[in-house]
Amino acid sequence: MDTASPRIRMSVLGVLVVACFVALFARLWYLQIMEAPTLVEQASAQTRRTLSVEAPRGRILDANGKILVDNRTSLVVEVDRTVFAKVKNKDAYESAIADVLTRFGAPIKTATVQRRLSAPQSEQLRGAPVASDVSQEVMVYLSEHSADFPGVSVTRQSMRVYPYGMAAANVLGYVGHITADGLKTLTAGTDPETGATKTYGSDSIVGLAGIEATYEQDLRGTPGVETIEVDSKGRPVRRVDYAAPKPGSDVQLHLDIDVQMRAEQALRDKLDVLRGSPQRDGTIRRAPAGSVVALNPVDGGVIALATYPTFDPAEFAGGISQDRYNELLNQNGVSALVDRSISGQYAPGSTFKLVTATAAIENGLINGNTYYDDEGVYKVGNPPREFSNAGGVKNGGIALPQALTVSSDVYFYWLGDRMDGTTHIQDAASAYGLNARTGIDLPNESAGYVWTAADKKALHQKYPKQYPDGDWFTGDNVQLAVGQYVITATPIQIARAYAAFANGGTVYQPHVAWRVLRANTLPTEEGGILRTIDPVVVRTVSLPPEVRDPIVQGLAGVTTGLGTAASAFVGFDQSTFKVVGKTGTAQVQGKADTSLFASYAPLGAPRYAVAAVMEESGFGAEASGEVVRHVYELLAQQPLTEVSSATQGTRD
Amino acid sequence: MIQASVSKRSSRMSRRDPTSPWRHLDPVILACTAALSIIGVVMVYSATRGPGPDYQNTYLFKQATFVIIGAGVLALFTIVDYQKLHDWAWVLYAITNVMLLLVISPLGTQSNGAQAWFAVGPFQLQPAEFAKLSLIAVLAFLLSEFRGDIDVRRTIALLGVSAFPMVLILLQPDLGLVLILTVIMMAMLLIGGLPTRYIVVLTIVGVVGVVGALNSPVIKQYQQDRLTAFANPDDRSNPAVYNIAQSRLAIGNGQLTGQGLFSGAQTRLGTVPEQQTDFIFTAVAEQFGFIGAGLMLLIYAVLCHRIWRTARIARDQFGTLLCVGVLAVLLFSIFENVGMAMGIMPVTGIPLLLLSAGGSSTITTFAAIGLVLNVHMRRFR
Repeated sequence: MDTASPRIRMSVLGVLVVACFVALFARLWYLQIMEAPTLVEQASAQTRRTLSVEAPRGRILDANGKILVDNRTSLVVEVDRTVFAKVKNKDAYESAIADVLTRFGAPIKTATVQRRLSAPQSEQLRGAPVASDVSQEVMVYLSEHSADFPGVSVTRQSMRVYPYGMAAANVLGYVGHITADGLKTLTAGTDPETGATKTYGSDSIVGLAGIEATYEQDLRGTPGVETIEVDSKGRPVRRVDYAAPKPGSDVQLHLDIDVQMRAEQALRDKLDVLRGSPQRDGTIRRAPAGSVVALNPVDGGVIALATYPTFDPAEFAGGISQDRYNELLNQNGVSALVDRSISGQYAPGSTFKLVTATAAIENGLINGNTYYDDEGVYKVGNPPREFSNAGGVKNGGIALPQALTVSSDVYFYWLGDRMDGTTHIQDAASAYGLNARTGIDLPNESAGYVWTAADKKALHQKYPKQYPDGDWFTGDNVQLAVGQYVITATPIQIARAYAAFANGGTVYQPHVAWRVLRANTLPTEEGGILRTIDPVVVRTVSLPPEVRDPIVQGLAGVTTGLGTAASAFVGFDQSTFKVVGKTGTAQVQGKADTSLFASYAPLGAPRYAVAAVMEESGFGAEASGEVVRHVYELLAQQPLTEVSSATQGTRD
Repeated sequence: MIQASVSKRSSRMSRRDPTSPWRHLDPVILACTAALSIIGVVMVYSATRGPGPDYQNTYLFKQATFVIIGAGVLALFTIVDYQKLHDWAWVLYAITNVMLLLVISPLGTQSNGAQAWFAVGPFQLQPAEFAKLSLIAVLAFLLSEFRGDIDVRRTIALLGVSAFPMVLILLQPDLGLVLILTVIMMAMLLIGGLPTRYIVVLTIVGVVGVVGALNSPVIKQYQQDRLTAFANPDDRSNPAVYNIAQSRLAIGNGQLTGQGLFSGAQTRLGTVPEQQTDFIFTAVAEQFGFIGAGLMLLIYAVLCHRIWRTARIARDQFGTLLCVGVLAVLLFSIFENVGMAMGIMPVTGIPLLLLSAGGSSTITTFAAIGLVLNVHMRRFR
């Protein structure tokens, strides 16, 4: 028998029992008390997912509070991906869905259903959208036959709706799915009440053009957060928490939708009339595009911004097909998605004479009574190169006011000649805000371009083959004086220059948006206005009376009597609403002329500055002058007339 | 007070036959067993009902059935005097080994890579579970016959008797059960009077054997992975590491007071693999927290203590050894299973007795506890 007694061995066993339990308790304490905070966090990360719920965007209102962009609820058919993955006969499943949709008025091909179900989507927990805007009947049918359509659900989603159709589409812009780039670069706005960041997800709908894009931070709503529980295979089990999304702020514009529609209609109708007809020299007008800008000279507010051709933003609301998008990019050779009013760059032609005249008087070359004998032709250099008036018209001895009224090119060739070797014209152009973006609150603006001797030289040195001449010739300055050849400007720049002249020399940054309003609140209510977009003065033009008065006199004559645009304003009562303006006809090599008209009104206390530019449309008065007149009819509350069928107007 | 209770006790004992076994039935063991098996049924249900709303109750009914059958078996093993086992130990041992042989024949069925079951209707019978009981019986018989007089020849005989079923189980293979049988053998040899020097030698041989086995082709890669996972918790290529990590999360998620019954996210959503069997402890820990899981461990501790106590006060060495064998099975199952769930023991497929879902192990455990009750109530005869 061994020395170790059974009793001692039993005690050893007892100690072992105690030791085991002590170890287990210690470890349990460690895991559930000491390490619990970390483990709880990891556990919840594993079983919970948060989904972002897109909020309705804010509305866009016009200056009078009319709703230009609203939201509506669209019924969207979605398919749960995890359920779909388990469907055995996918073809039958897809064609059954297509059948139901087609039967209830939303025709769709099985192949389309198939494509949408297989489209990659980052958020697997969310259903795959198959069709939007389906009828109530589809929803009822699918819910009654839910057993036949596993995983199919109909959800309500907020979609953009445009009560005025295509009107102001270029201004309003459109929305669409965020791009991969946008997801990285977009700066999210914050909720005006809570300060919460309006975060983006890969399925977010964002403004892609126009005001929708510029005021994205305000218009975007604060996304809701849905917390759901998922099982070990990542399948959703139930909703744990839900914070409702909040709609975005409304944006009210300076734009007046009635004026906008009037401008769009006049522009479209006149282009239609002119298209295909020959201009004075026999060139056929193609009249493919044009734009109209109406500004408030007092604060730079944009009243109307028309462009042609344009598009229907509703086409983008439910996602646009690539084919349709390409079609919009090429409408009779021009893009419907380009806003010509801010990005079209045109030679300003005679509308630029405002700038040349300002430069000439300001620099003491002439005053309002300096006469020059206009013989119809101006000769420069040796051997002489001839520059003539349109149609070779001889105006005789004229001073600046008459030169503007009848649009004497020779008078301005002479001024250009005299200012050769200086940058007076370029300086004045810059003072009026040309040669630089206006800073309007819309994307994709162009800057226009005013050439200088220094630029020409630099260009030649850089590309000697393409630009063989590095010297600035007198001929260059002579052409510059009449807004041709070495200068381009956008319609908004031209309108703003006339607005600045109208208000006494203040150049404003044009603004489409007026103020940001709290969602679902009237501006008159306490706290209804979140923010007003104040006018921004970019620079000023010095316009003392000795500079301004002769020019006003000359421009005021344009719409009456001998004025170049008199024919366009026949029948328009100017006794209380005098229109001050300038026609422009810019020659384009091998094409019909660009027709321009820039103006402001009424004479005494200007409230409007309106400009129009129409491509390949002929003389300034016969196209743009008339379109601007139709806009003024509404602004001056005069009888609205139809666009005339006349294709020939006053010269220049 | 003491006086009163003593007199009350003696007066009750003097009533009728003071040696009637039924007077000495241990209510504590019975209560602990009942409590644990009920907790077990509820836990198995909570781990298998699914995330809802259509709850599954297959496992609930199955486990409840096993507990009811187990209660009957417990009664049987309590009522029949354990001395009968002394006579029948070899028969039991023989039957078990025949079953172990049959199960690795084409008669048995395979599941999870082990040929360990007989399909009996909707149930699966796992004969290796019964091997625990028969080994306890046969070792208790042999050791009580040897009366502490053990030489090398007898030692080899004892080892041989133990090794035979182990080898058969190793062929299935079921490493966990082999481990349990080894622990049973060690504990019973210790109490059964194996000389200390033999114990030292056996321990050294055992350690060398385990280390050698781990590095030999006898142990398959996945088995090795499971055994070593707890030591390398960051090795992501090891699938057992995932189980341990999930188990830790579920336990930690219980915190002090637990998430509440059916409210534990990890348990409800099924993030812990094999939760109703090997990882049932995580269901308790997540839903009832440190307080609940601690209490449950306490019940196990009380049960272990009562079995240990019964071993000490048993009438004969055969009874003592039976209890020691049962204690070894239970303690090892608790320590290994709960320790594995908490990441301090290797991953082996050892169920938490009375709690884990499983017919054969539940019924065997009830039988074993019935034996202890039996020994306890017959300690004066």
